[in-house]
Amino acid sequence: MTLADVLAVAGGLVAGLLSGAIGIGGGLVFVPILTVGFRVAQTVAQGTSLAAIVPTALVGGVTHLRQGNASVQAALWVGGGGLVGAIGGAIIAIHLESLLLARVFGVFYIAAALLLLQRALVDPKAHQDSSATPTP
Amino acid sequence: MIPLLVLWTGLGQRQANATSLVAIIPIAIAAVPIYYFRQGAPDVDVRVAIFLIIGSMVGAYLGARVLKRIPERQLRIGVAVLMILVGIKQVLVP
Repeated sequence: MTLADVLAVAGGLVAGLLSGAIGIGGGLVFVPILTVGFRVAQTVAQGTSLAAIVPTALVGGVTHLRQGNASVQAALWVGGGGLVGAIGGAIIAIHLESLLLARVFGVFYIAAALLLLQRALVDPKAHQDSSATPTP
Repeated sequence: MIPLLVLWTGLGQRQANATSLVAIIPIAIAAVPIYYFRQGAPDVDVRVAIFLIIGSMVGAYLGARVLKRIPERQLRIGVAVLMILVGIKQVLVP
């Protein structure tokens, strides 16, 4: 086990803690850890982050389905639409130049941060029960 | 995805969290092979992914259990500010 492996475990721990505690997606933490922390190219960071999300979402998602917490109909619609979008998005991402992709990601990241800020400052329901489940 | 689910489908926050976790499964499964099997070197670092998973599984468990008492609002604001700084950095000096 190298130092990079230990740092990856630490990064994963932070991502897991944040998603468990405040419900932000693992990918939102994985990608900057890989690009800013590990100096990995943007496309590799996104591909690696998605690969790390699969088992986490499988375990968490199947548990929620069994417990009846998730809306199956909404999951099918969003997951189905997202599937088509993800294939298109991934094809675009691997063909984009990594620096440009990093800039596009930066804009998306600021938008996601503003949404999170809005949830914290405006939405009173945000403090009630959103901490239960981690989401990628 | 969660704000979208809350706004458009009227799901509660907890149900939206669970639903988004289910919906991300096909999305991530479809995207990974495209990153991995691209022409040239794969855009997936499998070794790093495995160690990230180990950390995040433990972290998610601890986050859901131990950090229950943490003030969510302040943590959200802190993380959002950090994210804005990272986003600005990525836009200016990627």
